Amino acid sequence: MSATLPPGFRIQRETNTEEFFINMGPQHPSTHGALRLALRMDGETIVELVPHFGYIHRGMEKQAESMSYLQYIAMSDRQDYLTAIQNNLGVVIALEKGMNVGVPEKGEYIRVMLQELGRIASHLVFYGCFGGDLGGQTCLLFGFKEREMIHDILEEVTGSRLTTNFFRPGGSRYDVPDTFLPRVKAFLDHLEGAMRDYERFLSKNIIVLERSVGIGILSKEDAIAYGCSGPVLRASGVEFDVRRANPYSIYDQLDFDIPVFHNGDCYDRYKIRIAEIHESMKILRQCIDKFPKEGAWRSKEKPVRLPVGRYYSEIETAKGLYATYVVAATTGEKPYRIHTRGPSFPHIAALNKMVQGHKISDLVTIMATLDPVIPEIDR
Amino acid sequence: MGIINYAPKILDPIPGGKYVVNLVDYVVNWARANSIWPLTYGTSCCAIEMMSSSMARYDIARFGSEVFRASPRQADLFILAGTITRRMAPAIQMLWEQIPGPKYAIAMGACTISGGPFIYDNYAVVRGAQNLIPVDVFVPGCPPRPEALFHGLLTLREKILKETCRHPWHVGRPKDVSTMDRYREAAKTWAALEEMKDEEMAEARAKFKEEHPDYKSSFKPIRIKKEELPEVPRTPTHKGGLTQSELFAKLHAKFPKVSVHTHSDSPIEEVVAQIPADHPLEVIVDFEDYLPMVEFLKNDPEFKMDFLIDETAIDYDDHFDLVTMLRSMEIGHKLFLCVQLKKDFAIAEEARPTSLLASVPTISNLYPGAEVKEREIYDMFGINFEGHPDQRRIFLDKDFVGYPLRKDFTHPQMIRRPV
Repeated sequence: MSATLPPGFRIQRETNTEEFFINMGPQHPSTHGALRLALRMDGETIVELVPHFGYIHRGMEKQAESMSYLQYIAMSDRQDYLTAIQNNLGVVIALEKGMNVGVPEKGEYIRVMLQELGRIASHLVFYGCFGGDLGGQTCLLFGFKEREMIHDILEEVTGSRLTTNFFRPGGSRYDVPDTFLPRVKAFLDHLEGAMRDYERFLSKNIIVLERSVGIGILSKEDAIAYGCSGPVLRASGVEFDVRRANPYSIYDQLDFDIPVFHNGDCYDRYKIRIAEIHESMKILRQCIDKFPKEGAWRSKEKPVRLPVGRYYSEIETAKGLYATYVVAATTGEKPYRIHTRGPSFPHIAALNKMVQGHKISDLVTIMATLDPVIPEIDR
Repeated sequence: MGIINYAPKILDPIPGGKYVVNLVDYVVNWARANSIWPLTYGTSCCAIEMMSSSMARYDIARFGSEVFRASPRQADLFILAGTITRRMAPAIQMLWEQIPGPKYAIAMGACTISGGPFIYDNYAVVRGAQNLIPVDVFVPGCPPRPEALFHGLLTLREKILKETCRHPWHVGRPKDVSTMDRYREAAKTWAALEEMKDEEMAEARAKFKEEHPDYKSSFKPIRIKKEELPEVPRTPTHKGGLTQSELFAKLHAKFPKVSVHTHSDSPIEEVVAQIPADHPLEVIVDFEDYLPMVEFLKNDPEFKMDFLIDETAIDYDDHFDLVTMLRSMEIGHKLFLCVQLKKDFAIAEEARPTSLLASVPTISNLYPGAEVKEREIYDMFGINFEGHPDQRRIFLDKDFVGYPLRKDFTHPQMIRRPV
């Protein structure tokens, strides 16, 4: 049998039934982008899964070697475009460590508020896609409805809806307009009611429960071993959040909880994101109260030149641990190498563990709850 | 469409018959232009804007395109949302072949027009969708707003409304032109036009000067007042687990050969003590110590480094640096291991770009997550991992020549950035 297996498949098994292989992707609505999954099936049950990456490999790391540090911030937008504003911060923190510049208090508040808005936006897309993949197109419309309000705020502040390219070493590109705080406040008041509706819509829906409870269980040990992070790790019972473990910006001054669930199935991964939206709203409300009325919004502008060394930053995006590793071999404006660790890559690597023994329709649910963004895997 | 295509031949010679043909055209085009069903296809950022455009706020249903089909066999329109890579290109051509005619294509976003942000120094991106399939409408933007996509859709609609059964729709062919050449030509034409305009203006300028000899411009450049911004110091704080000095001392006791990156002559302990609190400690590990050290770090109760953040490599002239980033979930400290892998210069110089230059034992038996990371390093740098269960290329095609993240990598289709 082993001689005839396609590359990547490893499980050796004795079976009387005929196995067959199915190809899913690279153009498939529920692979969330250009990802190809090769499935080994026994009847309707998945025996093994092999992901094939690289359909959107754009060679960003090679390109970064001939770019300046500032240009790479724009590249980070295009990695995980759902959390573009968070990726910006990840790169910028690494540069700040190299340049040794700090951020004034108001700048930090702007950063944290935009981070949390980005997190809510990403989780709302998750909500929509999760419902949509289970067959409820209405959820897709719901999720994007509130997301547009966040885009309005982002557009007003950064000038762009999706690819923000906003943060700079020492602060951000612009100060926030006067309308920023009232708009965020109005949005939060609106979202409070909307979330109540949304939870009522999906959380106790019998179809959702049947299709997600006990499906795609990822044990605590496996989640750590594969390097999962973010909501996927916390749904498996590990309390790890970079905002709490290694606080960046002003997250150590804010009062918020890290929601943890223990079953590690699809339903928990859904619930944890809903809980995180509520935590983000809590953080945003605190920021609105504490937002400094006076003071500088960024520190003095300096040329972005990094001394020789290696700089590392990690932040918690909506998907998980996003790390940037910058190598400066010469003091100057160009990196020798920049490497990005995206959160979705280990999740897809662990997918094989989760789907074994499930049906294809369950694979769609599991993919939706992992919430991967493929360009950030392939880079 | 068979019968309708014969209508002009029969009806046009008859007096008044062309009005009937025009009527048929009008009805057919009206039906076609008002229900253009797109294919569900998206690779990157533009796909999200495409999704936004079909949601409640923008509502693509107003233009009859709300039915996104998952199968190309039911679609009319191919919205190329997102970057096209060389690996994806055959799939795109196959999708295009599978769409039944009459079919249309919209290239959405800068990447599908020219390669966009990925035009220079890139070996993986196809510079423009028109090299693969015939494109009807180009929508610029990075990514374009939903309104821009609608503008593209309405432009396509106008194009469809001009169709006639006198010249039936046929599949176009991709224009086999290099995008870069077209841009250079366009830039030349533009410069020539500018010059022409300047010459024309010179006459007028001279005439104006004659008529108004004592004219003085009142133009004053507006200067935005620069804000006075303070210099803010950075205050790094340490949280979680052992400090860098403690980590290094404990590791040094067990493996005496470890050292750190340094550019000064001061003793290593001092260098470690000067590392800012939020920088993770990166130690240089001897090649023989690498596997024992990773095992030790994973199992030792004082370290308990059970979480592999990442594994990556850096290419230097004569060696690779393999960086393994570890973290302890329980205790909370981080430690980076850097192994220097000497390049194998016994290989003939011509064969070096395509051969594996270094070898290192795998750690994927200790950390299952390392498997894909090591495949990535193998793919990008050409480092061999001894004992790796499934060492294949991960991002690039299996017949790709060379290892892109090496500094001396060249690719025939790579365009250098003009300096």
